[in-house]
Amino acid sequence: MSIKKFIQSATESLGLDDLQKAGKKKSIKNLLKKLRDREEEIAKSLKKKSDKKEKKELKEELDIISLQIKNGKKILEKLNS
Amino acid sequence: MLRKILLPSILVILAYGFWVSPDFKEISAGVAIFLFGMLTLEEGFKVFSGGTLEKILQKSTNKLYKSIGFGFVTTAIMQSSSLVSVLTISFIGAGLIGLTQGIGIILGANIGTTTGAWLMAGFGLNVKISAYAMPMLAFGVILIFQKAKSLKGIGYILAGLGFLFLGIHYMKDGFEAFKATVDLASFSVGGLKGLLIYIGIGIIATVVMQSSHATIVLILAALSVGQITYENALALTIGANIGTTITAVIGSLSSNIDGKRLAGAHFIFNIVTAVVAVLFMSQIIYAVETISAFVGIANDNHTLKLAVFDTLFKVMGVLMFIPFVDKLVNFLNKTLNTKSLKGENNFDSVKYLNDSALELPSISMAVITKETKHLYENAFEIITHGLNLQRHNIVSSMPLDEVVNKEYSKVAVDIDDFYNKKIKGIYGEIIDFSTKAQSHMAPEDIEVLYKLKLANRDIVEAVKDTKHLQKNLIKYSKSSNEHIKAQYNTMRRDLAELLRNINIISSTDEEDVMLMLLSKAKLHTKKYDILANGTLDNLIRKGLVTNEMATSLMNDSAYAYGISKNLIEMAKVIFIDNNSELKSIGEDMLISDDEVNTILDQKERT
Repeated sequence: MSIKKFIQSATESLGLDDLQKAGKKKSIKNLLKKLRDREEEIAKSLKKKSDKKEKKELKEELDIISLQIKNGKKILEKLNS
Repeated sequence: MLRKILLPSILVILAYGFWVSPDFKEISAGVAIFLFGMLTLEEGFKVFSGGTLEKILQKSTNKLYKSIGFGFVTTAIMQSSSLVSVLTISFIGAGLIGLTQGIGIILGANIGTTTGAWLMAGFGLNVKISAYAMPMLAFGVILIFQKAKSLKGIGYILAGLGFLFLGIHYMKDGFEAFKATVDLASFSVGGLKGLLIYIGIGIIATVVMQSSHATIVLILAALSVGQITYENALALTIGANIGTTITAVIGSLSSNIDGKRLAGAHFIFNIVTAVVAVLFMSQIIYAVETISAFVGIANDNHTLKLAVFDTLFKVMGVLMFIPFVDKLVNFLNKTLNTKSLKGENNFDSVKYLNDSALELPSISMAVITKETKHLYENAFEIITHGLNLQRHNIVSSMPLDEVVNKEYSKVAVDIDDFYNKKIKGIYGEIIDFSTKAQSHMAPEDIEVLYKLKLANRDIVEAVKDTKHLQKNLIKYSKSSNEHIKAQYNTMRRDLAELLRNINIISSTDEEDVMLMLLSKAKLHTKKYDILANGTLDNLIRKGLVTNEMATSLMNDSAYAYGISKNLIEMAKVIFIDNNSELKSIGEDMLISDDEVNTILDQKERT
């Protein structure tokens, strides 16, 4: 067995690869939670605002957040598969 | 000059010594092998110092006693206070720790070096140490040839220890054989005169060998065979402790201000401790005798007594200094400040880059990132003034329309002058440092470094674009043609918004805020591009601007677009990629160019 293979099997058996993956998953989950909270917050203030310019800005933020949440979910799915 | 004379003199003395005495040759070879072992050992520990060491460092140095503990443990493990000093200088330079913690580590490292004397006196001199050296060397060298970084590191550590042991063996053997021909003990000098002479010899030996550890091991080897007297060995130990600070001071000459301050602290600490030790020599010897008797060290076991002395002397120094650490920090900050070292000119220079940081890839990466941020701060100033805006307004919560109305100056600022004084030099140094750092880095680190270099280039490009933009911007933002004036002021407003958002990104810890602002910046850059959104066509078609104005607007909007793109790319690298939570996911979480287009298309339709 080559040294590289040995290290690879050692990291696998010690679960070090999973550890890295788990860290990434945790980061994504935390971020998704923050983004969802923010999305909710923006949606609420969008209902309250009457100024057209402000509404436009909030709508834009909402569009961005929706895409970010979508991207985050995709990464999470990839990590889970 | 001194260096030019010193090296040939040492070589001549050694050559003469080798010629007249084969035993001297053996002792010198022992010292050389020992020093080589220390270098190899340092090389091995460096492999393991990336990332993990920094994390431990930040957690274990937040209190002075923890810093001292950290210094003690790392030096005891690595058996090299010079490596710990170098690491500490680079940690301070990289802003990972402050000077107080740095001094704490140095104090701890001083005590840590005493473990070497204990190992040598208690183990090295009592067993056939070369028997341990041989397998270590054999296993070590095999592992050094492996590709895996960690195995290579273990290999260097094993080989390093092997060489250390082998060196001790040769020193011991050399002194034993030497005794048969020359009795060095007959040259011993007693009293205060002897104390001062041997302190001087200890200083010289340490400066020449660049290691107090090696000097102490040599002293113990000579003491174990009775080639020097116990009293003279004590003086040599004090000398070695002073000599090591001279090595540190010489080493700090090429380092930055933090390195100089730390070397200053090291120097003051060791000199004061040595003076106190000389003044209270008889009391310390009495204490050594008492402690030795208490722990059961035989009366004639001078090597172990020397280890007791070494420990007592250094612990006493640390205890003496602990109450004054803050005062020492203030004193060093006052005496060694950047003004006292820098001439009076307006040229800004690098703040974080220093050669000591090159020792560790993770540290060099950290200092390059910090320096890039420093470069951006300067660029922020230039871009803001180039846009005729005031910096404090941009970083405030003032409405952007008001920010645009408040001019920085009635006349155009000299961006070339700014560039030469605040960008060019620092940029050059970052690139130069990066090239040097790259040679110590693994391929994955080089990839990160490459991105950082690109971020630096983006900053410089943004400044250059500002210079091109400035000429017409000043002219048309005050034009009597309301349409062109509005376009240039919109350009200023959009760039002010971007600068404000980058400022928020740089200071927030909220990852979602970072991602939102940067995604928004990406979207706005595209949205406000007057070439793409049809504004320019509209102005020309309706004859609202002259042909000359239209050409200027077209060129300048391209510059503004360039500034935005470059600054966004830079922010992505230095703020998103360097955020511990976003490091591996930030890129994917930002909206892509296609997604920007989707949002803009949706807007057009509604």
